[in-house]
Amino acid sequence: MINTIGEVATDAHRGPVLRVQDLSIEFGDPRAPFCAVQKLSYSLDQGKTLAIVGESGSGKSVSSLALLGLIPHVGGRISQGTVLFDSPHYGHEVNINDLPEKALRILRGNEIAMIFQEPMTSLNPVYTVGSQIIEAIKLHSQKTTIEARREALEWLERVRLPHAKRIIDSYPHQLSGGMRQRAMIAMALSCRPKILIADEPTTALDVTIQAQILHIIRELQSELDMAVVFISHDMGVVSEMADDVLVMRQGLKVEYGDVKDVLVKPQHPYTKSLLAAVPRIGSMENKTLPERFDIVEDKQQRTDGPIYTAVAPKYENAPLLEVAGLTTRFNIRSGLLNKVTHHVHAAESVGFQLFKGETLGLVGESGSGKSTVGKTIQQLIDPVGGTVRFRGQDVFQLPKAQRKKFRQEIQYIFQDPYGSLNPRKKIGESIAEPIRTHGLLESKSAIEKRVKELLERVGLQSMHYDRYPHEFSGGQRQRICIARALACEPSLIIADEAVSALDVSVQAQVLNLMMDLQAEKGLSYLFISHDMAVIERVCHRVAVMYLGQLVELGPREQIFKNPQHPYTRRLLSAVPELNPSKKRESVPLEGEIPSAVRAVGDAPFVHGFDEVSPGHFLAQNAGNFRWV
Amino acid sequence: MPIAKFAIQRLLQAVFVVFVVTIFVAFAIRLTGDPAIMLVQESSNVTEADLERIRAAMGLNKPFLVQYKDFILGFFNGDMGTSFFRGPVSNLVAVALPATLALAVASMVVSMLISIPLGIRAALHKGGLSDQIIRIGSLVGLSFPNFWLGLMLMMVFSIKIPIFNSSGYEGPASIVLPAVTIGIILTATNVRLVRTAMLETLGAQYIMVARSKGLRERIVVYKHALRNSAITIVTYMGLQFGNLVGGLVVVEMVFNWPGMGSLALDAIYQRDYPVLQASITLLALMIVAVNFTVDLVYGLLDPRIRVE
Repeated sequence: MINTIGEVATDAHRGPVLRVQDLSIEFGDPRAPFCAVQKLSYSLDQGKTLAIVGESGSGKSVSSLALLGLIPHVGGRISQGTVLFDSPHYGHEVNINDLPEKALRILRGNEIAMIFQEPMTSLNPVYTVGSQIIEAIKLHSQKTTIEARREALEWLERVRLPHAKRIIDSYPHQLSGGMRQRAMIAMALSCRPKILIADEPTTALDVTIQAQILHIIRELQSELDMAVVFISHDMGVVSEMADDVLVMRQGLKVEYGDVKDVLVKPQHPYTKSLLAAVPRIGSMENKTLPERFDIVEDKQQRTDGPIYTAVAPKYENAPLLEVAGLTTRFNIRSGLLNKVTHHVHAAESVGFQLFKGETLGLVGESGSGKSTVGKTIQQLIDPVGGTVRFRGQDVFQLPKAQRKKFRQEIQYIFQDPYGSLNPRKKIGESIAEPIRTHGLLESKSAIEKRVKELLERVGLQSMHYDRYPHEFSGGQRQRICIARALACEPSLIIADEAVSALDVSVQAQVLNLMMDLQAEKGLSYLFISHDMAVIERVCHRVAVMYLGQLVELGPREQIFKNPQHPYTRRLLSAVPELNPSKKRESVPLEGEIPSAVRAVGDAPFVHGFDEVSPGHFLAQNAGNFRWV
Repeated sequence: MPIAKFAIQRLLQAVFVVFVVTIFVAFAIRLTGDPAIMLVQESSNVTEADLERIRAAMGLNKPFLVQYKDFILGFFNGDMGTSFFRGPVSNLVAVALPATLALAVASMVVSMLISIPLGIRAALHKGGLSDQIIRIGSLVGLSFPNFWLGLMLMMVFSIKIPIFNSSGYEGPASIVLPAVTIGIILTATNVRLVRTAMLETLGAQYIMVARSKGLRERIVVYKHALRNSAITIVTYMGLQFGNLVGGLVVVEMVFNWPGMGSLALDAIYQRDYPVLQASITLLALMIVAVNFTVDLVYGLLDPRIRVE
């Protein structure tokens, strides 16, 4: 057995290391079971990557737990099929489904390892990062603690954690999400497994961090000659990582083949519709206006509203919303006396205009302050300075009654539709509530009629009035939230990551609905998102935010075709491209986004802007901008 | 040293709480009436001059804050005043406090010995037969009034089968029945607490990660899950211990246990105001001290608290 790090396995055997045959997994009552996976078959060659893609509920994650024999631990059963693994320990092929728990433990973490989706919760918070890696190493080898610690340190360095010597004794909460995922990878690879299962390993991470993590996985894969089962919902990531692709839907395999065939010439209608729903960076080149997704839509969900035809907003009129010098800070108290010692500079001197019928994209990574800007405009947070003018009036200088009126005209849609609906209220009542609060309609019957109209307008049915939020899917809930926003007859909707939690096909439907509503009602959107491809699809203009300040603002076509600021370029280059014949070779930039927390009195320098072309503004720090 | 800073911060908070509590106790006791009249209420021919003399002797004619200062200075120097009937308060406390602490600790130990293994078992077999039995058992335990359970145990184990003495302190074995009584009562809630805390941690992703490493289930449960649940369990049981020290009155009465509860209760009946002030103050201090200790243990268990 090879144990030293860095040595490449020289095994001449290149056959399949894993063969899954007719695998079915059930949950619940054996008499009326729920089949999470049905008759799944695939095989995986040594050193290759198989991507399993699908939307939520497709069974992609569950099927991968079966490779570790962990199905009983999540309350399920293998009802039929075999998982054949060519185990170096046993020297021959074994059927995972037949192995007793004790035999499985020899394989788990040792020959088959797994990394999980949520880096924030996959490390035990009460043990140091190092002790958790050392535990894994010692479990599967005869090494002493000192040897294991030395090896753990080497692994932390291999996943490019800066200051590995310090991190080995750090607790998980002291590390960022990206650093935790690196530590998790170090732990998973520490026994040099034959197969690595990666379950949505970058979904919770920012796009620039995602690029770094994907690069590390690919690099170590070829170094260890390891096979990877890569589970993802993101077609761009799949295109970049996979040799083979398996598309799953509701527990069934719908398409399986070489990545180039599946992504470029999909055969199955479901794969086709899935790919049609994926927004692709660069697909909007030479188009100035937003465009609907060309997906086959259920007639029911379309209802009677007009289909979006893009119109350019009238920029010669006065803007609907004008934000200038907007600064929002949060206090951090510390010390024995609980004095304010630091500020989070969430937004520093942010300014932009938004016109009637226009969608302005506000894009940035976590901690950039984009949500803070939205919440300040909605009057959910009080700013430290600056003005927000709505229809020419300074919102924060107005008397209470008028501010309430503006709260009606500006509506907010959150990322988590379930969290923003009262679970104990019928959805009809949730939608009716703002109509009553703002006194838009008086009689009970008129309100009910209006709510039912709204339900139908957003693609639900009037009979849904009496149902509760938990009876709906994520996409339907977001439609309910949109209906509730529309109930206020708004002129501006702030959509804060409104489609980020949705499956890609549902995301396309909801975005189409939002665009249709813009055409029908002349709505303006402040579209806050981290997803560059979605932004490109739906926005007229785009503002890029970094560390609380705008760095670039301009027409969408300009920003995407001719990005001027190094940060905008970095964001764009980090987005995985849906083009399997073009695997990225370049090493992504290292480093994490710096913190917006600064000591009191140490306010950041607010940079000015240059107009590089008509309407295209660039921060003056572009020339000497540094990452870290 | 963040842990030192954390400890200092909590200590300062505790000192502040002690100040508020002691001043409130001193003030509240004086609201219940003139101690001098209480002291002499039995005798009929007392003049105002007699009362004045008694007040002067007890220092009751001084301003409230001066009285408070005198009490506190005395209290922390070991002089807790003198009982109207039973000599120096410190002598009374010296007997009662160890008795109460012993009973409280013994009950907690009994409760932990039963509730932690049962709670873990219930969580591991959620919805299964053992979970059901443990849940029903805990419900039955919850529905016993503690004095009734105490009387039942006494009837069985000291009257029918005379293993233990029924009342008072007659050597270390005397603690068994009262400790088991309180222990069982506490166990009823603690089993549920341990079960809930364990269920929450067992559902966490790092538990699945631990399994995917190939660890045996025993290590997954006891090293990875229990250590995290301990944060919740210790907090709750610590608070419980604090309550216990002050709240043993009923069981102490049943078993005639010579503890702080009995001491304070007797002092109330007899209007023995110096004993009352000293014992209540002491109980309050105990609770503050226990909470402070819990905070420290919490900080040791949870690295997230330590470093903040």
